[in-house]
Amino acid sequence: MASSMTATDTVDAKQVVLVMVGLPARGKSLISGKVKRYLQWTSVKAEIFNVGKYRREGTPHPDAKFFDAGNPEGEKARKAAAEAAVADMCNWLKDPSNKVAILDATNSTKSRRKWITERLEEARVAHLFVESKCDDEDLIMANILEVKTTSPDYVGQNPEEAAKDFRDRIKMYEKVYQTIDESEKNLTYVKVTNIGHQVVINRIQDYLQSRLVYFLTNLHIKPRSIWLSRHGESEYNLEGKIGGDANLSPRGFQYAKMLPELLRKSGLPKDAPLTVWTSTLKRTSQTAEHVVAELGWEKLPWKALDELDSGNCDGLTYAQIAEMYPEDFKARDDDKYNYRYRGGESYRDVVIRLEPIIMEIERSENILIITHQAIVRCIFAYFMQVDQSKSPWMEVPLHTLMKLTPKAYGTEVEKFKANIPAVSTWRPQGSQAKHHEAGEAEMVVGEPVKGVAGEVNGTKA
Amino acid sequence: MDTLLTAEANAGSPRYRRKSSTFVDAIHDLREKGHLAPAQLYSTESGRLFHAGRIVICTVGLPARGKTHISVALARYLRWLGVKTRIFHLGDYRRAIVGPGKDVPDDYFFVNASASSVLLRQKILKKCREDIYDFLNDQNGQIAIYDAVNPLSAGRKSLDKEFAKHGMKCLFIESSCDDQRIIEENVRSVKISSPDYHGWSEDEAVKHYLNRISAKIPHFETMEETDLDWIKMINAGERLVINNRSFGYLSHRIVFYLLNLHIKSRHTYFARAGVTLEEESFKADAPLSPQGVDYAKKMTDALLKHREEELQVLKEKAGPDAQLKPLIVWTSTRKRTVETSTFFAARGFQVRQRSQMSQLNPGVCEKKSERRIRAEYSEEVEKHDLDPYHHRFPRAESYHDVAVRLEPIILELEREQNDLLIIAHESVLRVLYGYLMACDASDIPFLSFPRDEIIEIIPASYNNEAKRIKIPDLPREIIPASPEGPKAAAPPSGFATPVPGLGNGMLSPWIKPGTPEPADGMKTPVGAKTPLGSGTGGKTPAEQAENDISIRIHDVV
Repeated sequence: MASSMTATDTVDAKQVVLVMVGLPARGKSLISGKVKRYLQWTSVKAEIFNVGKYRREGTPHPDAKFFDAGNPEGEKARKAAAEAAVADMCNWLKDPSNKVAILDATNSTKSRRKWITERLEEARVAHLFVESKCDDEDLIMANILEVKTTSPDYVGQNPEEAAKDFRDRIKMYEKVYQTIDESEKNLTYVKVTNIGHQVVINRIQDYLQSRLVYFLTNLHIKPRSIWLSRHGESEYNLEGKIGGDANLSPRGFQYAKMLPELLRKSGLPKDAPLTVWTSTLKRTSQTAEHVVAELGWEKLPWKALDELDSGNCDGLTYAQIAEMYPEDFKARDDDKYNYRYRGGESYRDVVIRLEPIIMEIERSENILIITHQAIVRCIFAYFMQVDQSKSPWMEVPLHTLMKLTPKAYGTEVEKFKANIPAVSTWRPQGSQAKHHEAGEAEMVVGEPVKGVAGEVNGTKA
Repeated sequence: MDTLLTAEANAGSPRYRRKSSTFVDAIHDLREKGHLAPAQLYSTESGRLFHAGRIVICTVGLPARGKTHISVALARYLRWLGVKTRIFHLGDYRRAIVGPGKDVPDDYFFVNASASSVLLRQKILKKCREDIYDFLNDQNGQIAIYDAVNPLSAGRKSLDKEFAKHGMKCLFIESSCDDQRIIEENVRSVKISSPDYHGWSEDEAVKHYLNRISAKIPHFETMEETDLDWIKMINAGERLVINNRSFGYLSHRIVFYLLNLHIKSRHTYFARAGVTLEEESFKADAPLSPQGVDYAKKMTDALLKHREEELQVLKEKAGPDAQLKPLIVWTSTRKRTVETSTFFAARGFQVRQRSQMSQLNPGVCEKKSERRIRAEYSEEVEKHDLDPYHHRFPRAESYHDVAVRLEPIILELEREQNDLLIIAHESVLRVLYGYLMACDASDIPFLSFPRDEIIEIIPASYNNEAKRIKIPDLPREIIPASPEGPKAAAPPSGFATPVPGLGNGMLSPWIKPGTPEPADGMKTPVGAKTPLGSGTGGKTPAEQAENDISIRIHDVV
């Protein structure tokens, strides 16, 4: 085994249930999905228990009346769904390696929260209520528009009618909604108003909870996209060498020149600011050159976006590594995520150093990130929930721009290929250390990405 | 002594060159010595985290609400993260301008103060603000912590405007208490130990002090301003309320830290693990040798005896019902530390194992003598000597790696409310000590922890203090602190050290690679307060006042 040290804090983390609270269209599912994704990326096991999903089993396409507190049948069905979800959740928590359960439902009354508190105290699991409160009409409308087009409740329905029905549903909830207030001051809770403009954090009990709150306070739900690209082909790429701080190749410069056009083609937000992030290595800032000059965006170089440090292997080709360090070459194939280069880094190390970047991405709006293969893989894995055994092996071709757009029910990926040939730097698991000749990239297929990915609520849009 | 406020003392030290190729992660960069921060994840040329801007953190709150404690703790953490931070206590400026032994006029804090008091107030504020501008504009500072009462909303708004003019953001942190017990404990622990209250009963002294505050500062408005950025900490962290108008990365990070901070005072003890059957091997994870078991027993006895004595002192002071805080023990998951804790477990103390506290992994240096390491990895040894904090031998961890993986422990350390004994390998103790005592990263590998001493860290709102508790009757050969780097692999036996104690790690001339033990002169007299002034530039009033700690104690603010 190459790496003997990991830096996760999962061993001591106590189990906790995040209980969402809030009216429909307040971003609860979005928050739940993001929390799960973040935790899994940092190697903490997390699962979402969406009461709506349980309710849908009996009532797949309910109308607004179903949600009227005065409708005994609807009320009964919804309580049964909540009970089923909580029971499954408690069962899941019996496995001590499972750490964070997220109960995604409105839980909008004090009596419902009291019931949940009692159930969880019985099960002896700590819990943290997360209330998302919003009185900004524009934000709510934006959320409604998104939900009506992506929610499984409205599949195949007229969007206009769906939106109207959804607004009626919210009204039903508003009638009985009770925000968390002083009478519940003994609860552990975080109450977020208007996407983080006001936050009340009450009685946080341990470190994992504080880290979750930290993450939650960094989130926003404004629409935005993240553009992700590797640097253009470098001189080292041509020679098949890894690492280094080489200049772009002539074709790499061509890509840099074409990038503004490619970005425009991908659909830029109107009048919304965009920031360019690069690493501190020459090849990424050269790739950003024309974007910055033509589009006038601000460029910020991050050390944390530098390529995975390959230590002693820096500047070698895969063939040389296989020859000089045959054991290492094999160890890396066996467990690439944990393999740490001699004197260098592992993917796990990279994920740890990227955590502040992820927090910052969550906090930011539109950004273009120009970075390196391993870093793109880690960031991509975060957004698309790619498993640790697969993420280090993903193919990320040169001269291709990716646009990631977070949606309530997952992240949308679009790819834009610049028609500029480049070498492929992708080496599949277990393959020979062969260097792909220039132009061969076009022949390498194998797309890890399909449309919208990311599992939220157990449904895929 | 706490070296937190002297971090710039090394600003003039020679600039190191970069270690190897430019393909080195920022975390390995050799910067000016004074810029090395233990858990810094990235850095920029200016020394500022580029996207975080310059921030003035303004404290808000009546005296005895833990403002200074929060300021100092925050500065410690921010510096640990690599953020250039400095504290400006307005009280120090007040004392410096009013003159030693004198107090401000009675109406100084009044809303309707006399013209002369208003003028004095403005004069003091101006001097402090100028120092803040200088720090943030001309010394590459990133965060200035402005420690003052800031009791009135109007005053806070004008402060925000004033700093905005200079391109600096204001983040207000209010410490508020409606729990009278917390306030009284605070007064008891930090405010009434001055000679002024000699011979008073504690209760009388607390009452007198609190009355003085309400007479001096009759007007206080809690933060409600929707147009300012603020964090309100209620009852020592029980609740946090945040008004986020434009929080950036660091403001969020500060919230995270404050979520784990409390203002209760507790002691931290550091003890080394006992010696094992297979001392040179990391991979073996060997159990304790008979000598190691003997050490564990003696260490347990020494600490419990010490705590018994502390309890007696406390009882004399606070009455027969006084109790120490419960003691809990943290070890790593390595056998030697777990086994060292068994005598505590047997006496019913709670012991927790923390995987992150595993010792520094020596990688290829495993089981190799210094000579062999020098022969086989001469190039690595060369790099190591240049930067022992960041360099990692093949397959090994650097101290920096250890610091980064210890960050959750650091936050939990802040969260812990009980007295805490940490039993760990010396490499881990070095890093944790480095945090608590704000050592420069480059000094951390050379901190020395002889086995016959338990280190006790006593927090105070101004600075932490390190004490040593002797463990008697240990065989000489197990005492020495293990050296750093290539020397660490196979420690010389029978090496008697004259180690007198821990230097402060900042100004120590003794620190250079290969010198594991501090010189005698660096010994910090127990209980003595040491000047905390910063080493750069001319002396600020803060520094002058800090030289005379005694005057600040009876001062109300």
